[in-house]
Amino acid sequence: MYSVVLTELGISVFNDGKLDKAFSFSNPVKEYLLVKNKESKLNELVNYLASTQRGFSVSDESLLAILKKYSIDCHLMEESELDEIQTNKPQIIVDSGFASNLQDTLGKLREFALGLSSSKVTEVSESPDLHIIQAINSLDEIDKIANGLSSRLREWYGLHFPELDNIIDSINGYAQIVLAGKRESLTKQIFEEAGFPESKVEMLSLISSKSRGGDISDINLSIVQSIAKQVLDFHELRKKLEEHVEAEMQEIAPNTSAILGTAVGARILGRAGSLKKMASLPASTIQVLGAEKALFRSLKTGSQPPKHGLLFQHAMVHAAPRWQRGKIARAVAAKAVIAARVDVYGEGLNQTLLEKLNIRVDEIGKKYENPTEKDMRPPPSFRREGGFGDKPRRREGGDRRREGGDRRREGGDRRREGGDRRREGGDRRREGGDRRREGGFRDNPRRDRREGGFRDNPRRDSGDRREGGFRDNPRRDSGDRREGGFRDNPRRDSGRNDERTDSNKKRKKFGRR
Amino acid sequence: MALEIIQEEIVEGMMKEQIQIKREKSLEDDNQSFFWIKSEGQKKLATENMVPGNQVYKEKLIIKKNIEYRLWDPFRSKLAAAIMNDLEYFPFENKSTVLYLGASTGTTVSHISDIVGSNGIVFAVEHASRVARDFLDRVATFRKNIVAILQDARKPKEYFSVFGKVDVVYVDIAQPDQTQIAMDNCEMYLKKGGYFFLVIKTRSIDVTKAPKRIVEEEIERLKPRFEVLQTIDLHPYDKDHAMVIAKFNH
Repeated sequence: MYSVVLTELGISVFNDGKLDKAFSFSNPVKEYLLVKNKESKLNELVNYLASTQRGFSVSDESLLAILKKYSIDCHLMEESELDEIQTNKPQIIVDSGFASNLQDTLGKLREFALGLSSSKVTEVSESPDLHIIQAINSLDEIDKIANGLSSRLREWYGLHFPELDNIIDSINGYAQIVLAGKRESLTKQIFEEAGFPESKVEMLSLISSKSRGGDISDINLSIVQSIAKQVLDFHELRKKLEEHVEAEMQEIAPNTSAILGTAVGARILGRAGSLKKMASLPASTIQVLGAEKALFRSLKTGSQPPKHGLLFQHAMVHAAPRWQRGKIARAVAAKAVIAARVDVYGEGLNQTLLEKLNIRVDEIGKKYENPTEKDMRPPPSFRREGGFGDKPRRREGGDRRREGGDRRREGGDRRREGGDRRREGGDRRREGGDRRREGGFRDNPRRDRREGGFRDNPRRDSGDRREGGFRDNPRRDSGDRREGGFRDNPRRDSGRNDERTDSNKKRKKFGRR
Repeated sequence: MALEIIQEEIVEGMMKEQIQIKREKSLEDDNQSFFWIKSEGQKKLATENMVPGNQVYKEKLIIKKNIEYRLWDPFRSKLAAAIMNDLEYFPFENKSTVLYLGASTGTTVSHISDIVGSNGIVFAVEHASRVARDFLDRVATFRKNIVAILQDARKPKEYFSVFGKVDVVYVDIAQPDQTQIAMDNCEMYLKKGGYFFLVIKTRSIDVTKAPKRIVEEEIERLKPRFEVLQTIDLHPYDKDHAMVIAKFNH
């Protein structure tokens, strides 16, 4: 009985356990993959087998498919034979002359595994959707940084020219004025160049001459100007990123972009991990991505489940009245998943998805024009337990209980994929990186609306309220409390200490430094 | 990287009284799998570093009598946590072959690699390319006894470079159907009478159920083909995690 055996290092033909002929791979990783993907030619092997004119048993399904293409009479081996090959693989490799001895075999197999694994990593790392995810995350990150830096700029330059803060909303205009230098050197021309309307220019000139602010030294001014420069640069970079995400999304996920819009689509894509993963999620998961915390709270305590996660940023959802949002979010999520599947497995842009969605949303709008009695009631509040308080969210409290979130649905890779923090090693808290990601602000429903930065933030309708930092934050009246970050914020401070003592206690107890 | 080399005293043998590792096989006394090392006034777990000078996760290296040891942090590695919580069976030893599912960045794998030594093999399976990248960079390339397999553990037939049957299967994959996946792998690759370590992350199986009940249910699933030897709660090192140690009887 002739048998054809595929090993990692080559293909061997055996006749009753004796080697008949061996075809070694010159580049094992590449050729093995070709065989597995049924793309090999294997001319030599095929010619040899054809010349022997017998039936063969074959050890591998892909190899079998290739041989069948060349109409060679062959069949798959029995389970027991395959088992035997699995057990004696090193011996088979040595017998075939692919390696000199067992030790050498192990070395070669290991090399092979390293090579193949590396090539897979390379392959995955090239996929464009991963780059979109990085881009959208960078964008959100930049929003965070730019907002913080903007408020700092207003705070600092405000010492010199406090009135400016309340007049100019856009941080861009503000930064341009700062770049122009001291109060005294601000001319109408500068204001006009920064693009302010006539009425504003008048007011600015008037106020700048009567300002209550103190003088600012040149050294300080030059630093403040550097910060202003950074803010403007961030603004540029943000614009660039936004355009980039837009273009890339249209390129690789046109249907998802059509249904969700590029920004929301990219964020949901980031949550799912990749376009493929997103396509394999159920619609109900997509609907609540980003609201994990609320979801698991509801699963645990039976409180109200969330209606929407990241989807809240979707124009259709947040523009709708409260009692319609859940229904609309469900409709959008359902179509978004289909769109993702078309993007992965289909071709081009499919218009009917969006049409159908619009029809359905109109229908919801008509059917549920008025809230029912139930909708009028305020949502029930849930019992607060450890970890929901306003303590820092790093403590091992209720948050951790919710770990395992999406993983139930899409596999444990998530926890591993995130957390750059894990790479920094350090203590166990770091390893909790994943936990923090799950239990931290991400799934804080309150944050949903903020997460996307202000661009697609419904609240932005009322102007750039967020852009200037916390203009609408009453606490800002006492401005400086925020200024030093948490250092001089008594509340936050105690929180920090809490955290520290907490971990210290733990360490003492369990004998850890 | 400047390594902090500390001269410390190795506590001879297993000084920790409550831990008595039962060995089924008779072992030479000098073949010790892991060590208790005094560091900063505390006894800490360590393994003998197979690749001297190489750190995997910024763990402390300690040199004693010209042998370099790597401290084994139970907060980072669930196997170490199990040892701290009175693990009674430790089948990992010199020359063992191990199939490890869910290698992640390779923290635990690196210590098992230390233990099985240059004549043992660790087949380490990981599906996520992001962490596999770190694993390859930091662990697999330096250690000659690790075979890195980037594959989905759901498809044990697709593994490459695996041969023979292994002594131990160690599974740490956070999946709802992890027990089934693990059993399929044992079916294919575990020797009869071989040991099986299953880390159960209860929150990944079902968030809503009580952890205790989940562990019981998973053990029930194992019972037809495995003899369950020990169940360990990994608290305080990992919350809502348990480790089940079982023996494979066909």
